[in-house]
Amino acid sequence: MMPDISSYLALAEKVFFILGAIIYLVFSFVIVKQTTTMSKYVHDIFNSVLITFSYLHLAFSFLLVIMTLVIL
Amino acid sequence: MPRSQDLDQIAPDDLSTNSTVPVSPIIKTESTPIIPPAPIAPSDPDISVNKPEQGEVINSPQFKQKIYNILGHTKSPLSSFLVRPDVFSFQERDIDEEIILVLRPHWFTNLSWILISIIMLFVPLLLPYVPILNGFPAKYQSVAVMFWYLITFAYAFEKFLSWYFDVSIITSRRVVDIDFNNLLDKKFSDAQIAVIQDVTSRVSGVSQTIFNYGTVLVQTASEINELIFEKVPRPDKVVKILSELRQQYHDEHDHR
Repeated sequence: MMPDISSYLALAEKVFFILGAIIYLVFSFVIVKQTTTMSKYVHDIFNSVLITFSYLHLAFSFLLVIMTLVIL
Repeated sequence: MPRSQDLDQIAPDDLSTNSTVPVSPIIKTESTPIIPPAPIAPSDPDISVNKPEQGEVINSPQFKQKIYNILGHTKSPLSSFLVRPDVFSFQERDIDEEIILVLRPHWFTNLSWILISIIMLFVPLLLPYVPILNGFPAKYQSVAVMFWYLITFAYAFEKFLSWYFDVSIITSRRVVDIDFNNLLDKKFSDAQIAVIQDVTSRVSGVSQTIFNYGTVLVQTASEINELIFEKVPRPDKVVKILSELRQQYHDEHDHR
């Protein structure tokens, strides 16, 4: 019996998206760490805003992982 | 009449008489004060202008006035040319070290990544016109679009961070250059005003000439031979300030 190629392709797409989202989540952690480290060395008026943005980005990245796991 | 009051009437300017009004060590000038407010109030109000701190160059109020006359004012905290900022500080700063000028790369250097980010924002609108992507299910496309917007945000955010935290600082004692290339690469260079040997600026190209920004090279006699302030605005003023600070230091040093 021939395996269904389209189902394999769909699985590969799903794995590709999930892996991509997880790697992106790690990258978001790096951005948060980078922003907090930079803010520790240089203090300026917008540091808290930048840290907030980096955490928001992390939250959306986490949401992306959830989306790929649930929707796909 | 008491003896002290008698002397006051005879010689009112005699400083040996007891006065209830404290004598301020700072000489007040008649000109309009244009020095911006100090970010940190001095802890000791009796600091004498004749006893400079070690390495301190601008103790004289007249010299401060001269420096800030050259620099002018800065209104926006996001400016690339921050004169005596109220909030700004850096980790290696000494408690009583005064920040005179903070420099970031000129705003024009941000134009390329801002344009790229704007173009990236509109890329998902082209999705229906790419036939190969039409084969993907709608749910995959929505996740991909969200992914794309996150990447766009991350790109713009990283570029902004690189600009925002790439600072060159002139303080009352030294020049400082802080560079962040990535998370694991932080470069901090500083040189005392006293060891500065030569300051040069270079403005090259059309955009640098039009928008008046360029590179300032600070050559020193310390271990770090050269500090480079890249693409900073008003390089002529930066050179002038550093030359004035250097001259002031040598003048004070020669007096002693």
